[in-house]
Amino acid sequence: MVVRTVLCVAEKPSIAKAIANHLGDQVTTHNIQSNPYVKNYEFDYTFPQWGHCSVTMTSVLGHLLSHEFESRYKSWTSCDPSALFDARIEVFVGSNGKPIADNIKRHARRADVLYIWTDCDREGEHIGTEIRSVAAQSNQTLGRAGGTVRAHFSNIERAHIIHAAQHPTDLDEAQADAVASRIELDLRVGASFTRHLTLSLRPVLHRGNLSEASRLISYGSCQFPTLGFIVERYLRVRNFISEPFWGIKLMYQKAGISVNFSWARKHLFDRMIAVILYEWCLTSQTAQVQKVKTKPTSKWKPLPLTTLELQKCGSRFLGMDSQKVLQLAEKLYQKGWISYPRTETDQFDQAMDLRGLVQKQAQGGRWASYAAALVEGGFSWPRNGHNNDKAHPPIHPVNFVNPTMLSHEEQCVHEFVVRRFLACCSKDAQGSKTDISILYGPEIFNASGLVILERNYLDVYVYDRWGNQELPPFIEGEVFEPTEAILSEGKTSPPGYLTEPDLLALMDANGIGTDATMADHIVTIIHRQYVEAKAQPRQARHGNDEEGSEELPTQAIVGNSRRGRTTAARRGAGRNSGAGRGGAVTGVREFIPTTLGVALVEGHENMGFETNLTKPFLRKEMELKMKAICNGQTTKARVVNETIEQYRGVYTRMQQHPDVLRRAARKYVFGEVN
Amino acid sequence: MAATMAAELTQHLNARHLYPTASWLQTFLSTTRPITPLPAIKQTALFRLLASDITTTLKQPAASVFPSDVLKGTIKSRIVTGPVVCQVLDIEDIGHSRWSQVESIEAKERGETTKGREIVRVVEQENEGTADAASPVQSKGPFKLLLQDAKGLKIYAFDLRGIDGLSTNMAMGVKLVLRNVDVRRGVVMLEPGCVQVVGGKLDALDKAWKQGRKERLMAAARTVNTLA
Repeated sequence: MVVRTVLCVAEKPSIAKAIANHLGDQVTTHNIQSNPYVKNYEFDYTFPQWGHCSVTMTSVLGHLLSHEFESRYKSWTSCDPSALFDARIEVFVGSNGKPIADNIKRHARRADVLYIWTDCDREGEHIGTEIRSVAAQSNQTLGRAGGTVRAHFSNIERAHIIHAAQHPTDLDEAQADAVASRIELDLRVGASFTRHLTLSLRPVLHRGNLSEASRLISYGSCQFPTLGFIVERYLRVRNFISEPFWGIKLMYQKAGISVNFSWARKHLFDRMIAVILYEWCLTSQTAQVQKVKTKPTSKWKPLPLTTLELQKCGSRFLGMDSQKVLQLAEKLYQKGWISYPRTETDQFDQAMDLRGLVQKQAQGGRWASYAAALVEGGFSWPRNGHNNDKAHPPIHPVNFVNPTMLSHEEQCVHEFVVRRFLACCSKDAQGSKTDISILYGPEIFNASGLVILERNYLDVYVYDRWGNQELPPFIEGEVFEPTEAILSEGKTSPPGYLTEPDLLALMDANGIGTDATMADHIVTIIHRQYVEAKAQPRQARHGNDEEGSEELPTQAIVGNSRRGRTTAARRGAGRNSGAGRGGAVTGVREFIPTTLGVALVEGHENMGFETNLTKPFLRKEMELKMKAICNGQTTKARVVNETIEQYRGVYTRMQQHPDVLRRAARKYVFGEVN
Repeated sequence: MAATMAAELTQHLNARHLYPTASWLQTFLSTTRPITPLPAIKQTALFRLLASDITTTLKQPAASVFPSDVLKGTIKSRIVTGPVVCQVLDIEDIGHSRWSQVESIEAKERGETTKGREIVRVVEQENEGTADAASPVQSKGPFKLLLQDAKGLKIYAFDLRGIDGLSTNMAMGVKLVLRNVDVRRGVVMLEPGCVQVVGGKLDALDKAWKQGRKERLMAAARTVNTLA
């Protein structure tokens, strides 16, 4: 086939512009009708496989096609919601997409080849097939074998793009199919359950505020399990009972240093036994050193950066919510400063020139001298994590950019990415740890000291802490009389509400959503008023059994407002912007369900069947099936059928227990029954 | 024949520090068939005795029960030579809050420990190389037990170092033989060298114990909470 004219289509206008300028010497820009964002870039390029060609580079704005049920199913009263499991779905170009689709069709007429430049992930693959189907409407050859090719790229750095342009591959139909099945399932299941839930609860919510009653109770197969995690944690906090515990604290003053020994048993929940052991220790008067062990220790440098890790760190260290971090990272990617920010890969390919990338960062910024020193010696190949999505490398800086050229928020994210990358290429921090074990009465106590010998990566990765811990010398067999032995008392405090990093980790561990979508699910349940997000108070607790002298949150009765806040949320709002007693907040967000959120979860729990919509199993299975389609282990048709049958079963059971959900709603939203 | 049988049995059981009452022996022998070989009878006798409530089935020679003033809290430490035979009536994990124990029971009830229905709740943090093991299936305590000797005296005991066979998974009614134990302020200090776990159980007690465990833990948590 002789190729003279090539039509390239990217996923976003900014990417199209960048690629056009890398490939073309002289690029002419044209607007298109009825859409100010999308532009056509025309230039000539000599492809090694095709020779000299004239190229038109344009883009879409994300998904081009819309999916909707046939018009006769549109009205909620037109059918039983379960009819949507089998109703026909129409696929068409949405009204917003018409100008873009027309632009593509016009240029497709003259093109010999369609070259897809959408982002290299599953959604991008699907968008590629959408573009192909539109282009094929005006030029059938593009839809046939060899008519469409695909570029594979993970950042928009010049050499990388040129290489991608010269090595086209094919669209991955399997991945596109996986997305197509997700779209169909989300539509069928989402719509049917949303209608059913809303109609089912409407009579209950109808009491009182009419505008409230007309609101939607929407269902999403990812949102419900996410809500489930949050409610579960909320209930754990609410039902928590604090218990006292006792511990023995030992202190010995030696060489001017107060050495604190911690009890091997940590603490006991029985006062009588604790007192007996304490007395036994005191009676023995002296303690004897059993073991002194000094050995080298290291603090490992961080793993290469994935999307999930970026979001968790963004929350913990930068005080930014997951969606925002991802948006800023996207901007940095589009401008060409960092690599594609949607990746699960935490290992760097051996062939990458990491030294070169480090060298680039020596040009400026606060880390310049560190980067320079790294190139000269001290460079160490990054650790390998366990994941490789085979599509993109870990997130890393691709070029040098002067931070002053970025907005303040972009700088924060950019700095984090650079520091993380440089830390990956550094050596682990090295220290020397001494562990001492003593026998006092019948009980063992431990103390340890740490001397940091080489900070290494810690110098650039300011987000990790490692502190020296002084310890005077001890020798085995040494006997001494402790300076202070105290029986201390404490109380357990409840776990904190689920924080954003923890929620992301739970979603990831239970297979809910992908790195690209997890942040979106969180935004959705906030938007649907199933949960509220607020800043975590600084003295927030972590574990169940940690020492704490805090008061328990008071067990207040759930109030009357319909989509009301639960007690914690209301209390939080009462203080200054949700800050704790001392007024201090961490940058991390925590989630508290609304009364409606709790009602939904408890209602589903009470229906009691295995395929509980608020548990992660159904969605996890769906995600696994998506993967299986990508791997060619199953087909879209089979997956859609199997999943619809599963949900049909859930739907039927829900229909058989209509009052359970209503009862839960009445209980929580109206405070009835307690 | 019956006399020698009784003698054999008595010797067999005494060697294990078990001194059954004459009436128990009689009752047992009346249930055996003469053609059963002796070793089998010995085994059955041991099994049945260990499954019995020792307050009704064992003789109470002074050496095999606790001294009558053993519960005195004013005595800091005393050694009880024994060998004392006792049965375990209760065991508590005092190294973990009752609330956290309730939560693990509830997780099991929800079926989250069955394959395919696992909900991952503890996400391991990236660490400095010292792996902090996710909570083990069986807690290592330490454990506080409630023991009862043949006279019916109840006394608390504390498992100092961990003894094989003593955990919250054990059956209630297991028989122990204690030798040269240190009793501090009325609590028996159990160490591996002085405890022999003989075995057995009390069926009814064990069943009730297992079924009521969650409720007891919750009630206990509420009690200590109000006292604190």
